Amino acid sequence: MNDQTEIDYSQIEAGYEFPPGNYKLDASTVSIFLKAVEDTSPLYQDTGLVPPMAVAASAMATLSRTISLPPGSIHISQELEFIDMVSLDDSLTSYARISRTQRRGKLHLLTVDIDVRNQHRKTVLTGKTSFILPLQDGGE
Amino acid sequence: MANNQEQPAGLREGIELPELKKTITQQNINLYAEASQDFNPVHIDEDFARKTPLGGTVAHGMLILAYVSQMMTKAFGQKWITGGKLNVRFKDPARPGDSLTLTGKVSKLENNDDQVIVRCSIKGINEKGNPVITGDAILTTSREAPG
Repeated sequence: MNDQTEIDYSQIEAGYEFPPGNYKLDASTVSIFLKAVEDTSPLYQDTGLVPPMAVAASAMATLSRTISLPPGSIHISQELEFIDMVSLDDSLTSYARISRTQRRGKLHLLTVDIDVRNQHRKTVLTGKTSFILPLQDGGE
Repeated sequence: MANNQEQPAGLREGIELPELKKTITQQNINLYAEASQDFNPVHIDEDFARKTPLGGTVAHGMLILAYVSQMMTKAFGQKWITGGKLNVRFKDPARPGDSLTLTGKVSKLENNDDQVIVRCSIKGINEKGNPVITGDAILTTSREAPG
């Protein structure tokens, strides 16, 4: 995983592109994910396949390391599309872009589009994540 | 029915997907935090979370969404993980001790050449009957078999 500088969400506008984040999902991480969600599907037992929701979770984690979300932030909606299979140790790159920002009273709506590609630059997963965040001091 | 063309075996509008039941523990949440590297204290620090408007730790929304994906995988197999789409809204937070029931229903079948687009409405409720997640799941499958 990359160490990335956090960006203050209140300073960014629609169209902003986050620095790409690179990651791999190893067998240990996938095993912990499967235990967490108590998923015993044979699809992931000794097949080398990675659950797409583990890919999505890591993409979200990559995003959370680049943007500073204040306490009180709420993840309100999520779109995902699973496009291709991901195998253990595939080299993934997560691209994220602000597609919408909106201020409503003391709240800030933020929507981020995510595109995860493998080492062949093929998109394996896309998503759209929306958060409601409280406006920080000095906000409108 | 969307039209009169043949549909994959056993698949028709209105049928319910096999439901999934989960009881969330703090251990599940902690493991999810480790797997996802999302260590937001509202998920894993009871003392911190108790002082927030949430009043205690809550599960990651993406953990609940993983349950939905698990239900869809049980219903449709590998086709789900190579072409599934989810569009959900998170409602009430899910907390340690909550017993969730995830359900889904085929809401529409659309024929598209030799494939069928399957639209499902999905919902997750807690033991009080309050929705924690609602939305739609869509996948494209061949006419031969849904899974």
